[in-house]
Amino acid sequence: MVENLKRCECRDFITLFAYLMQTIYMTTEQLSEEFEAFKGQLKSYILRITTSVQDTEDILQDTFIKAHERLETFKGDSSLKTWVFAIASNLAKDHLRSKKRWPENVTDICKEAALGNQEFFGEAMQIAQTSPQGQFEMKEHIAFCFTCVSKSLPLEQQIAVMLKEVYDFKVKEIAIIMDQTDAMIKYYLHTGRSKMIQVFDNRCSLINKEGVCHQCTELNGIFNPQQKAQEEIVKIEMAKQSESADKEHLFDLRMKVLKEIDPFDSGAAELQLHHLEHNRQVMEKYLKENS
Amino acid sequence: MSNGKATTIKKVFSRQTSVRIDINADTAIVWALLTNASDFARWNSTIVFIKGNIALGEKIELKAKIDEKRTFKIKIKEFTPEKHMRWGDAMGNRDFTLTPNADGGLTFSMSEKIGGPIFPLFAGMLPSFDEAFEQYAADLKREAELIFNSKN
Repeated sequence: MVENLKRCECRDFITLFAYLMQTIYMTTEQLSEEFEAFKGQLKSYILRITTSVQDTEDILQDTFIKAHERLETFKGDSSLKTWVFAIASNLAKDHLRSKKRWPENVTDICKEAALGNQEFFGEAMQIAQTSPQGQFEMKEHIAFCFTCVSKSLPLEQQIAVMLKEVYDFKVKEIAIIMDQTDAMIKYYLHTGRSKMIQVFDNRCSLINKEGVCHQCTELNGIFNPQQKAQEEIVKIEMAKQSESADKEHLFDLRMKVLKEIDPFDSGAAELQLHHLEHNRQVMEKYLKENS
Repeated sequence: MSNGKATTIKKVFSRQTSVRIDINADTAIVWALLTNASDFARWNSTIVFIKGNIALGEKIELKAKIDEKRTFKIKIKEFTPEKHMRWGDAMGNRDFTLTPNADGGLTFSMSEKIGGPIFPLFAGMLPSFDEAFEQYAADLKREAELIFNSKN
Protein backbone atom coordinates (compact mmCIF):
# COMPACT_ATOMS: atom_id res chain seq x y z
CA MET A 1 0.00 0.00 0.00
CA VAL A 2 2.77 2.47 0.96
CA GLU A 3 4.71 1.64 -2.17
CA ASN A 4 1.58 2.07 -4.25
CA LEU A 5 0.96 5.43 -2.64
CA LYS A 6 4.48 6.57 -3.48
CA ARG A 7 3.91 5.60 -7.09
CA CYS A 8 0.47 7.23 -7.17
CA GLU A 9 0.48 10.65 -8.74
CA CYS A 10 -2.01 12.13 -6.33
CA ARG A 11 -1.56 15.85 -6.41
CA ASP A 12 -4.51 16.82 -4.25
CA PHE A 13 -6.69 15.39 -1.48
CA ILE A 14 -9.61 14.44 -3.74
CA THR A 15 -7.56 12.35 -6.13
CA LEU A 16 -5.71 10.81 -3.18
CA PHE A 17 -9.04 9.98 -1.51
CA ALA A 18 -10.40 8.51 -4.74
CA TYR A 19 -7.27 6.45 -5.16
CA LEU A 20 -7.49 5.13 -1.60
CA MET A 21 -11.17 4.27 -1.95
CA GLN A 22 -10.45 2.40 -5.15
CA THR A 23 -7.59 0.57 -3.46
CA ILE A 24 -9.51 -0.32 -0.31
CA TYR A 25 -12.97 -0.94 -1.67
CA MET A 26 -13.71 -3.26 -4.49
CA THR A 27 -16.07 -2.08 -7.19
CA THR A 28 -19.13 -4.02 -8.34
CA GLU A 29 -17.41 -4.65 -11.66
CA GLN A 30 -14.37 -6.08 -9.92
CA LEU A 31 -16.61 -8.29 -7.79
CA SER A 32 -18.45 -9.57 -10.87
CA GLU A 33 -15.20 -10.23 -12.67
CA GLU A 34 -13.55 -12.10 -9.80
CA PHE A 35 -16.77 -13.93 -8.90
CA GLU A 36 -17.00 -15.22 -12.45
CA ALA A 37 -13.46 -16.60 -12.18
CA PHE A 38 -14.26 -18.89 -9.22
CA LYS A 39 -18.01 -19.32 -9.80
CA GLY A 40 -17.57 -22.85 -11.16
CA GLN A 41 -15.70 -23.99 -8.05
CA LEU A 42 -18.19 -22.26 -5.77
CA LYS A 43 -21.12 -23.88 -7.54
CA SER A 44 -19.65 -27.38 -7.34
CA TYR A 45 -18.78 -26.79 -3.66
CA ILE A 46 -22.36 -25.81 -2.83
CA LEU A 47 -23.69 -28.81 -4.74
CA ARG A 48 -21.37 -31.17 -2.87
CA ILE A 49 -22.61 -29.75 0.44
CA THR A 50 -26.33 -29.56 -0.39
CA THR A 51 -26.66 -32.37 -3.01
CA SER A 52 -29.44 -30.34 -4.63
CA VAL A 53 -29.13 -28.57 -7.97
CA GLN A 54 -32.06 -26.28 -7.15
CA ASP A 55 -30.62 -25.33 -3.75
CA THR A 56 -27.23 -24.80 -5.36
CA GLU A 57 -28.65 -22.37 -7.90
CA ASP A 58 -30.54 -20.50 -5.16
CA ILE A 59 -27.57 -20.31 -2.78
CA LEU A 60 -25.23 -19.28 -5.58
CA GLN A 61 -27.52 -16.43 -6.54
CA ASP A 62 -28.06 -15.37 -2.92
CA THR A 63 -24.31 -15.46 -2.36
CA PHE A 64 -23.70 -13.02 -5.21
CA ILE A 65 -26.49 -10.72 -4.01
CA LYS A 66 -25.18 -10.77 -0.43
CA ALA A 67 -21.61 -10.19 -1.59
CA HIS A 68 -22.81 -7.24 -3.66
CA GLU A 69 -24.83 -5.81 -0.78
CA ARG A 70 -21.96 -6.16 1.68
CA LEU A 71 -19.17 -5.21 -0.67
CA GLU A 72 -18.30 -2.20 1.47
CA THR A 73 -17.51 -4.48 4.38
CA PHE A 74 -14.90 -6.38 2.37
CA LYS A 75 -11.60 -4.89 3.52
CA GLY A 76 -9.25 -7.29 1.84
CA ASP A 77 -8.33 -9.08 5.08
CA SER A 78 -8.72 -12.29 3.10
CA SER A 79 -8.98 -12.96 -0.61
CA LEU A 80 -12.32 -12.15 -2.21
CA LYS A 81 -12.70 -15.85 -2.97
CA THR A 82 -12.37 -16.73 0.73
CA TRP A 83 -14.82 -13.99 1.67
CA VAL A 84 -17.40 -15.15 -0.88
CA PHE A 85 -16.98 -18.81 0.11
CA ALA A 86 -17.71 -17.71 3.70
CA ILE A 87 -20.98 -16.11 2.59
CA ALA A 88 -21.94 -19.21 0.60
CA SER A 89 -20.99 -21.54 3.45
CA ASN A 90 -23.16 -19.61 5.91
CA LEU A 91 -26.10 -19.72 3.53
CA ALA A 92 -25.61 -23.45 2.98
CA LYS A 93 -25.31 -24.06 6.74
CA ASP A 94 -28.50 -22.08 7.41
CA HIS A 95 -30.25 -24.13 4.75
CA LEU A 96 -29.01 -27.48 6.10
CA ARG A 97 -29.23 -26.76 9.82
CA SER A 98 -32.60 -28.45 10.32
CA LYS A 99 -31.82 -31.36 7.99
CA LYS A 100 -30.51 -34.65 9.32
CA ARG A 101 -27.17 -36.03 8.25
CA TRP A 102 -27.08 -39.09 6.02
CA PRO A 103 -25.97 -42.56 7.18
CA GLU A 104 -22.63 -44.06 6.07
CA ASN A 105 -24.42 -46.74 4.05
CA VAL A 106 -26.34 -44.17 2.01
CA THR A 107 -25.37 -45.90 -1.23
CA ASP A 108 -26.84 -49.23 -0.05
CA ILE A 109 -30.14 -47.58 0.91
CA CYS A 110 -30.35 -45.66 -2.36
CA LYS A 111 -29.41 -48.71 -4.42
CA GLU A 112 -32.24 -50.65 -2.80
CA ALA A 113 -34.66 -47.84 -3.63
CA ALA A 114 -33.37 -47.55 -7.21
CA LEU A 115 -33.80 -51.26 -7.86
CA GLY A 116 -37.49 -50.89 -7.13
CA ASN A 117 -37.86 -47.79 -9.24
CA GLN A 118 -38.30 -48.55 -12.95
CA GLU A 119 -38.88 -44.90 -13.72
CA PHE A 120 -35.46 -43.92 -12.35
CA PHE A 121 -33.65 -46.46 -14.51
CA GLY A 122 -35.72 -45.53 -17.55
CA GLU A 123 -34.81 -41.87 -17.17
CA ALA A 124 -31.16 -42.70 -16.54
CA MET A 125 -30.95 -44.88 -19.68
CA GLN A 126 -32.64 -42.14 -21.68
CA ILE A 127 -30.02 -39.63 -20.46
CA ALA A 128 -27.20 -42.06 -21.17
CA GLN A 129 -28.44 -42.61 -24.73
CA THR A 130 -29.33 -39.04 -25.68
CA SER A 131 -27.42 -36.52 -23.59
CA PRO A 132 -23.95 -35.23 -24.49
CA GLN A 133 -23.36 -35.31 -20.72
CA GLY A 134 -24.74 -38.80 -20.21
CA GLN A 135 -21.65 -40.95 -20.56
CA PHE A 136 -21.17 -43.06 -17.43
CA GLU A 137 -17.61 -42.97 -16.15
CA MET A 138 -16.24 -44.69 -13.06
CA LYS A 139 -14.31 -41.60 -11.94
CA GLU A 140 -17.44 -39.47 -12.07
CA HIS A 141 -19.23 -42.02 -9.95
CA ILE A 142 -16.36 -42.04 -7.43
CA ALA A 143 -16.76 -38.28 -7.04
CA PHE A 144 -20.54 -38.65 -6.82
CA CYS A 145 -20.16 -41.40 -4.22
CA PHE A 146 -17.91 -39.22 -2.03
CA THR A 147 -20.45 -36.41 -2.20
CA CYS A 148 -23.11 -38.76 -0.83
CA VAL A 149 -20.99 -40.54 1.78
CA SER A 150 -19.39 -37.32 3.10
CA LYS A 151 -22.87 -36.24 4.15
CA SER A 152 -22.55 -38.77 6.96
CA LEU A 153 -20.00 -36.44 8.57
CA PRO A 154 -21.16 -33.68 10.88
CA LEU A 155 -21.73 -30.63 8.65
CA GLU A 156 -18.72 -28.70 10.00
CA GLN A 157 -16.43 -31.64 9.27
CA GLN A 158 -17.85 -32.10 5.78
CA ILE A 159 -17.40 -28.42 4.96
CA ALA A 160 -13.83 -28.34 6.32
CA VAL A 161 -12.84 -31.50 4.44
CA MET A 162 -14.34 -30.26 1.16
CA LEU A 163 -12.68 -26.85 1.43
CA LYS A 164 -9.25 -28.29 2.24
CA GLU A 165 -9.10 -31.51 0.30
CA VAL A 166 -11.06 -30.57 -2.82
CA TYR A 167 -10.81 -26.79 -3.10
CA ASP A 168 -7.29 -26.36 -1.68
CA PHE A 169 -8.06 -23.74 0.95
CA LYS A 170 -5.50 -23.35 3.75
CA VAL A 171 -6.44 -23.95 7.41
CA LYS A 172 -6.32 -20.19 8.08
CA GLU A 173 -8.64 -19.49 5.16
CA ILE A 174 -11.07 -22.21 6.27
CA ALA A 175 -11.00 -20.68 9.76
CA ILE A 176 -12.15 -17.38 8.19
CA ILE A 177 -14.78 -19.11 6.06
CA MET A 178 -16.19 -21.06 9.02
CA ASP A 179 -15.55 -18.35 11.64
CA GLN A 180 -13.65 -20.80 13.82
CA THR A 181 -10.16 -21.01 15.30
CA ASP A 182 -7.34 -22.71 13.41
CA ALA A 183 -7.33 -25.37 16.15
CA MET A 184 -10.98 -26.26 15.59
CA ILE A 185 -10.48 -26.40 11.83
CA LYS A 186 -7.59 -28.81 12.39
CA TYR A 187 -9.93 -30.89 14.58
CA TYR A 188 -12.68 -30.92 11.94
CA LEU A 189 -10.20 -31.84 9.23
CA HIS A 190 -8.53 -34.60 11.19
CA THR A 191 -11.72 -36.22 12.44
CA GLY A 192 -13.56 -35.80 9.14
CA ARG A 193 -10.70 -37.17 7.11
CA SER A 194 -10.11 -40.07 9.52
CA LYS A 195 -13.79 -40.98 9.42
CA MET A 196 -13.93 -40.93 5.63
CA ILE A 197 -10.78 -43.04 5.36
CA GLN A 198 -12.34 -45.58 7.72
CA VAL A 199 -15.71 -45.64 5.93
CA PHE A 200 -14.20 -46.08 2.46
CA ASP A 201 -11.70 -48.63 3.70
CA ASN A 202 -14.60 -50.68 5.05
CA ARG A 203 -16.88 -50.22 2.09
CA CYS A 204 -15.13 -49.46 -1.18
CA SER A 205 -14.23 -52.55 -3.19
CA LEU A 206 -11.93 -50.45 -5.39
CA ILE A 207 -9.45 -50.14 -2.51
CA ASN A 208 -10.39 -53.14 -0.38
CA LYS A 209 -11.17 -56.56 -1.82
CA GLU A 210 -13.41 -57.18 1.18
CA GLY A 211 -15.28 -53.92 0.61
CA VAL A 212 -19.05 -54.36 0.47
CA CYS A 213 -19.81 -51.71 -2.16
CA HIS A 214 -19.30 -52.44 -5.86
CA GLN A 215 -21.76 -49.90 -7.13
CA CYS A 216 -19.47 -48.07 -9.55
CA THR A 217 -18.49 -51.37 -11.19
CA GLU A 218 -22.10 -52.56 -11.29
CA LEU A 219 -23.34 -49.33 -12.86
CA ASN A 220 -20.50 -49.39 -15.36
CA GLY A 221 -21.71 -52.85 -16.37
CA ILE A 222 -25.23 -51.46 -16.93
CA PHE A 223 -24.31 -48.28 -18.80
CA ASN A 224 -21.19 -49.54 -20.59
CA PRO A 225 -21.88 -53.26 -21.21
CA GLN A 226 -19.13 -53.46 -23.82
CA GLN A 227 -16.43 -52.43 -21.37
CA LYS A 228 -14.52 -54.87 -19.23
CA ALA A 229 -14.81 -53.71 -15.63
CA GLN A 230 -11.28 -54.72 -14.69
CA GLU A 231 -9.80 -52.70 -17.56
CA GLU A 232 -11.73 -49.65 -16.37
CA ILE A 233 -10.73 -50.14 -12.74
CA VAL A 234 -7.00 -50.21 -13.47
CA LYS A 235 -7.35 -46.80 -15.13
CA ILE A 236 -8.18 -45.39 -11.73
CA GLU A 237 -5.01 -44.53 -9.84
CA MET A 238 -6.63 -45.12 -6.45
CA ALA A 239 -7.64 -48.66 -7.44
CA LYS A 240 -4.27 -49.31 -9.11
CA GLN A 241 -2.41 -48.41 -5.93
CA SER A 242 -4.88 -50.07 -3.57
CA GLU A 243 -2.50 -52.81 -2.49
CA SER A 244 0.71 -50.80 -2.31
CA ALA A 245 -0.34 -47.40 -0.96
CA ASP A 246 -1.35 -46.58 2.58
CA LYS A 247 -4.89 -45.49 3.48
CA GLU A 248 -3.96 -41.82 3.75
CA HIS A 249 -2.51 -41.79 0.25
CA LEU A 250 -5.51 -43.65 -1.15
CA PHE A 251 -7.72 -40.96 0.34
CA ASP A 252 -5.56 -38.27 -1.28
CA LEU A 253 -6.01 -40.04 -4.62
CA ARG A 254 -9.78 -40.14 -4.07
CA MET A 255 -9.73 -36.39 -3.43
CA LYS A 256 -7.69 -35.91 -6.61
CA VAL A 257 -10.55 -37.52 -8.53
CA LEU A 258 -12.97 -34.97 -7.05
CA LYS A 259 -10.66 -32.06 -7.82
CA GLU A 260 -10.53 -33.03 -11.48
CA ILE A 261 -14.30 -33.23 -11.90
CA ASP A 262 -16.76 -30.38 -12.22
CA PRO A 263 -20.12 -32.03 -11.49
CA PHE A 264 -21.91 -29.45 -13.65
CA ASP A 265 -19.58 -29.56 -16.60
CA SER A 266 -18.30 -33.06 -17.20
CA GLY A 267 -18.99 -35.87 -19.60
CA ALA A 268 -21.38 -37.52 -17.15
CA ALA A 269 -22.81 -34.40 -15.52
CA GLU A 270 -26.44 -34.90 -16.48
CA LEU A 271 -26.42 -38.59 -15.62
CA GLN A 272 -24.74 -38.07 -12.24
CA LEU A 273 -26.92 -35.07 -11.32
CA HIS A 274 -29.99 -37.16 -12.10
CA HIS A 275 -28.62 -39.91 -9.84
CA LEU A 276 -27.78 -37.36 -7.12
CA GLU A 277 -31.32 -35.98 -7.15
CA HIS A 278 -32.63 -39.54 -6.84
CA ASN A 279 -30.40 -40.19 -3.82
CA ARG A 280 -31.34 -36.88 -2.20
CA GLN A 281 -35.05 -37.67 -2.50
CA VAL A 282 -34.56 -41.22 -1.24
CA MET A 283 -32.56 -39.99 1.76
CA GLU A 284 -35.10 -37.30 2.66
CA LYS A 285 -37.84 -39.93 2.65
CA TYR A 286 -35.68 -42.44 4.53
CA LEU A 287 -34.69 -39.95 7.23
CA LYS A 288 -38.29 -38.85 7.65
CA GLU A 289 -39.48 -42.43 8.03
CA ASN A 290 -36.67 -43.35 10.41
CA SER A 291 -36.69 -40.28 12.63
CA MET B 1 1.75 -35.37 39.23
CA SER B 2 0.81 -34.92 35.56
CA ASN B 3 2.73 -37.90 34.23
CA GLY B 4 -0.20 -40.00 33.10
CA LYS B 5 0.13 -42.47 35.96
CA ALA B 6 -3.13 -43.43 37.65
CA THR B 7 -3.58 -43.55 41.39
CA THR B 8 -6.36 -45.21 43.37
CA ILE B 9 -7.47 -44.41 46.88
CA LYS B 10 -9.51 -47.16 48.47
CA LYS B 11 -11.78 -46.57 51.45
CA VAL B 12 -14.43 -48.73 53.10
CA PHE B 13 -17.34 -47.03 51.35
CA SER B 14 -15.66 -45.67 48.22
CA ARG B 15 -12.89 -45.97 45.70
CA GLN B 16 -11.40 -43.10 43.71
CA THR B 17 -9.13 -43.46 40.69
CA SER B 18 -7.43 -40.41 39.18
CA VAL B 19 -5.04 -39.60 36.37
CA ARG B 20 -3.41 -36.36 35.17
CA ILE B 21 -1.44 -35.73 32.02
CA ASP B 22 0.05 -32.67 30.33
CA ILE B 23 -1.07 -32.15 26.74
CA ASN B 24 0.62 -29.79 24.29
CA ALA B 25 -2.48 -28.83 22.34
CA ASP B 26 -5.24 -26.28 22.19
CA THR B 27 -7.95 -26.70 24.83
CA ALA B 28 -10.64 -26.54 22.13
CA ILE B 29 -9.24 -29.64 20.44
CA VAL B 30 -9.16 -31.65 23.67
CA TRP B 31 -12.68 -30.55 24.56
CA ALA B 32 -13.94 -31.43 21.09
CA LEU B 33 -12.43 -34.91 21.40
CA LEU B 34 -14.01 -35.39 24.83
CA THR B 35 -17.48 -34.32 23.72
CA ASN B 36 -17.87 -35.94 20.28
CA ALA B 37 -19.56 -39.19 21.23
CA SER B 38 -19.64 -40.83 17.80
CA ASP B 39 -15.90 -40.27 17.24
CA PHE B 40 -14.74 -41.61 20.62
CA ALA B 41 -13.99 -45.19 19.68
CA ARG B 42 -11.79 -44.07 16.79
CA TRP B 43 -9.12 -42.53 19.02
CA ASN B 44 -9.83 -43.93 22.48
CA SER B 45 -8.79 -47.57 22.74
CA THR B 46 -10.56 -48.04 26.09
CA ILE B 47 -14.02 -47.31 24.63
CA VAL B 48 -16.13 -49.66 22.51
CA PHE B 49 -18.78 -47.01 21.82
CA ILE B 50 -20.55 -44.01 23.22
CA LYS B 51 -24.06 -43.32 21.99
CA GLY B 52 -25.91 -40.06 22.52
CA ASN B 53 -25.11 -36.41 22.83
CA ILE B 54 -22.47 -35.34 25.32
CA ALA B 55 -24.11 -32.16 26.57
CA LEU B 56 -25.54 -30.92 29.85
CA GLY B 57 -28.52 -32.96 31.06
CA GLU B 58 -28.24 -35.54 28.29
CA LYS B 59 -28.08 -39.28 28.88
CA ILE B 60 -25.51 -41.36 27.04
CA GLU B 61 -24.81 -45.06 26.69
CA LEU B 62 -21.23 -46.20 27.10
CA LYS B 63 -19.55 -49.53 26.59
CA ALA B 64 -15.94 -49.81 27.75
CA LYS B 65 -13.30 -52.44 26.95
CA ILE B 66 -12.81 -53.08 30.64
CA ASP B 67 -16.29 -54.68 30.83
CA GLU B 68 -17.72 -55.25 27.37
CA LYS B 69 -20.71 -57.15 28.72
CA ARG B 70 -22.20 -54.06 30.30
CA THR B 71 -23.62 -50.92 28.79
CA PHE B 72 -23.47 -48.03 31.24
CA LYS B 73 -26.26 -45.48 31.19
CA ILE B 74 -24.76 -42.21 32.26
CA LYS B 75 -26.03 -38.68 32.71
CA ILE B 76 -24.03 -35.56 31.93
CA LYS B 77 -24.44 -33.74 35.23
CA GLU B 78 -22.10 -30.76 34.84
CA PHE B 79 -20.79 -29.17 31.68
CA THR B 80 -18.62 -26.07 31.48
CA PRO B 81 -17.12 -25.96 27.96
CA GLU B 82 -13.36 -26.32 27.76
CA LYS B 83 -13.09 -26.49 31.56
CA HIS B 84 -14.99 -29.22 33.34
CA MET B 85 -17.50 -31.98 32.83
CA ARG B 86 -19.07 -34.50 35.22
CA TRP B 87 -20.68 -37.76 34.13
CA GLY B 88 -22.37 -40.06 36.54
CA ASP B 89 -24.89 -42.67 37.56
CA ALA B 90 -26.24 -43.91 40.89
CA MET B 91 -22.92 -45.51 41.80
CA GLY B 92 -20.59 -42.63 41.20
CA ASN B 93 -19.25 -39.74 39.19
CA ARG B 94 -16.45 -39.18 36.73
CA ASP B 95 -14.92 -35.70 36.50
CA PHE B 96 -12.97 -34.37 33.53
CA THR B 97 -11.03 -31.14 34.06
CA LEU B 98 -8.88 -29.12 31.67
CA THR B 99 -6.47 -26.66 33.29
CA PRO B 100 -4.49 -24.30 31.05
CA ASN B 101 -0.72 -24.31 31.55
CA ALA B 102 1.64 -21.36 31.27
CA ASP B 103 3.34 -22.89 28.21
CA GLY B 104 0.13 -22.77 26.17
CA GLY B 105 -0.79 -26.40 26.72
CA LEU B 106 -3.04 -27.84 29.38
CA THR B 107 -3.31 -30.49 32.05
CA PHE B 108 -6.04 -33.06 31.60
CA SER B 109 -7.39 -34.59 34.81
CA MET B 110 -9.84 -37.45 35.06
CA SER B 111 -11.14 -38.80 38.33
CA GLU B 112 -13.84 -41.32 39.13
CA LYS B 113 -15.29 -41.92 42.55
CA ILE B 114 -17.53 -44.92 43.13
CA GLY B 115 -19.17 -45.46 46.46
CA GLY B 116 -22.15 -45.57 48.75
CA PRO B 117 -23.54 -47.57 51.67
CA ILE B 118 -23.56 -50.88 49.76
CA PHE B 119 -20.14 -50.33 48.16
CA PRO B 120 -18.39 -52.87 50.45
CA LEU B 121 -20.71 -55.61 49.09
CA PHE B 122 -19.40 -55.34 45.52
CA ALA B 123 -16.02 -53.65 45.96
CA GLY B 124 -14.23 -56.94 45.52
CA MET B 125 -15.88 -57.57 42.15
CA LEU B 126 -14.76 -54.27 40.63
CA PRO B 127 -11.73 -54.46 38.35
CA SER B 128 -8.92 -51.95 38.77
CA PHE B 129 -9.36 -48.85 36.62
CA ASP B 130 -5.70 -47.81 36.75
CA GLU B 131 -4.58 -49.29 33.46
CA ALA B 132 -7.68 -48.10 31.57
CA PHE B 133 -7.28 -44.57 32.99
CA GLU B 134 -3.64 -44.42 31.95
CA GLN B 135 -4.52 -45.63 28.46
CA TYR B 136 -7.38 -43.12 28.23
CA ALA B 137 -5.08 -40.23 29.12
CA ALA B 138 -2.33 -41.44 26.78
CA ASP B 139 -4.78 -41.84 23.87
CA LEU B 140 -6.19 -38.37 24.43
CA LYS B 141 -2.72 -36.82 24.57
CA ARG B 142 -1.59 -38.62 21.41
CA GLU B 143 -4.69 -37.69 19.40
CA ALA B 144 -4.87 -34.06 20.56
CA GLU B 145 -1.18 -33.42 19.89
CA LEU B 146 -1.42 -35.14 16.50
CA ILE B 147 -4.26 -32.80 15.50
CA PHE B 148 -2.62 -29.71 17.00
CA ASN B 149 0.64 -30.36 15.17
CA SER B 150 -1.00 -31.26 11.85
CA LYS B 151 0.05 -29.27 8.81
CA ASN B 152 -1.80 -26.20 7.59
